[in-house]
Amino acid sequence: MDNYNQVLSVLILLTSFMLMANKRIKSYIGTFRLQSALIALTAGIMGIRAAMAEGSIDVLVVSIIIIALKVIYIPNLLHKTFSGVEYKVEKDFFLNIPLLILICCGLVVFSYFSVSRVAGGSDGIMNAEVVNSISLVLIGLFFMISRRKAIGQIVGFLVIENGIFITAMFSTNGMPFIVDIGVFIDIITAVLIMGIIVFKINEKFDSIDINKLKNLRG
Amino acid sequence: MNSLTYNILQLTVMILVAPLINGIIRKVKAFTQKRKGAPLLQMYFDLFKLIKKNTVVSETSSWIFKAAPYVVITTALGAGLMVPSVTLVAPSGFMGDIILLVYLLALGRFFMMLAGLDTGSTFGGMGSSREAMISALMEPSILITLFTAGLAAGTTSIGGIMTKVKEMPAPLTQPVFIMFFLATLIIIIAETSRIPVDDPSTHLELTMVHEAMILEYSGRHLAMMELGASVKQLVFITLLVNICLPLDQLITISGIGAIVLSLLLYLVKVSAAAVLIAIIEVNTVKFRFFSVPNLAALSFILAFIGFLEYFVLWR
Repeated sequence: MDNYNQVLSVLILLTSFMLMANKRIKSYIGTFRLQSALIALTAGIMGIRAAMAEGSIDVLVVSIIIIALKVIYIPNLLHKTFSGVEYKVEKDFFLNIPLLILICCGLVVFSYFSVSRVAGGSDGIMNAEVVNSISLVLIGLFFMISRRKAIGQIVGFLVIENGIFITAMFSTNGMPFIVDIGVFIDIITAVLIMGIIVFKINEKFDSIDINKLKNLRG
Repeated sequence: MNSLTYNILQLTVMILVAPLINGIIRKVKAFTQKRKGAPLLQMYFDLFKLIKKNTVVSETSSWIFKAAPYVVITTALGAGLMVPSVTLVAPSGFMGDIILLVYLLALGRFFMMLAGLDTGSTFGGMGSSREAMISALMEPSILITLFTAGLAAGTTSIGGIMTKVKEMPAPLTQPVFIMFFLATLIIIIAETSRIPVDDPSTHLELTMVHEAMILEYSGRHLAMMELGASVKQLVFITLLVNICLPLDQLITISGIGAIVLSLLLYLVKVSAAAVLIAIIEVNTVKFRFFSVPNLAALSFILAFIGFLEYFVLWR
């Protein structure tokens, strides 16, 4: 069982496809929670290996912070914010779901080809984990533009962040502790601000459809 | 001689085990609803009763109506012959490959749809049109899924794939086979009319697909249709368990004892898969019919990512 990194990276990619196929707010948040749990597991395994080999517990601490922040705190915060919003299912997409999933598949293929250009295409070795995590970033970006409602933007943002974190994790075996902490603080502020803004928008306009934000113009 | 033994063994296993799978699924569902449920062997009793009964054929129907049950059961058993339940007894010579398997099953389904249209009842026509849509959606994903396994094993013969997989260390820990497993699970649910796509235990005219097509059948013909459907289900489950979880390499003894042991292991694997399907069925609600494309797209993509992972990891 020495290929657990590959397996975990594929499963993380899989959760992003599940997210793309969903249209309920509850399952958006649940899938994000699952994805973060898988990322925490990956970081935890890496952390334990690092602690055994070098005696450094940085990565292990980071994985515990992920569990506290992304598996427990942020999903609960989103649940609390969106329990007051009256719609529970996303209805009108720009494109239908099968097409969205096929485009995501195209994104994965794209990142396979582009990464093979960058990282040693000549010797025929592609780091599958890095490819999968870069696709995760792209899919998160695409998720943001494919959903009309504000929850989609927030979850998409969080998926992008997950993707960047896991890319860094797989390509460097753990970034410096201070960098990770800085990123986490950024995330938590962003989600807090977005949550409050969404709440306010909902209060003012009775809807969180981003197309209606044009009404702010005088 | 070896080929003859294989064929007899395979046909016996397929016919005898297939109704048991339905029994297990119904039993698990009954337990989750705090009922005792019908006995495990209920479907065998049903089939015996149906065979003894008279067959009623509508006067307005043509020969297709009478031929369809025979085509359905023959194609299902023919497909069953290609998917070895015990890989220790190898089929000799050309026994068909992935493409033949998929299109044999498609032939049976085509005749089932024709028979649904043949009697001219509204339900039959409705069921046939829905079935046509589901099969058109699932066909690419079945092919891609099986080709992914074939690519990893380096052959398109199903017996060949199963023997190749035995040499790999724990296939279910390889990304390719994880994707294969998930995609096949979705395919089983859609192909054998399980809950998110179709409800096998209801005759509600708004939702039924498979039941609507065979609504006009009775007696021996109905028994053949039912057995054909359950053999088809067993074919897909066998594909799933024998490719993802080959245990035959663990058997060290040889001869008749090895085959018996392998059959027992096969029964355990198949029952576990049936329990898994029942759990999925209990935990989901039936989809709107126009949400089925999402499921098909998802299984297609899962298989396709497995395909890509193969090129990245093993090339």
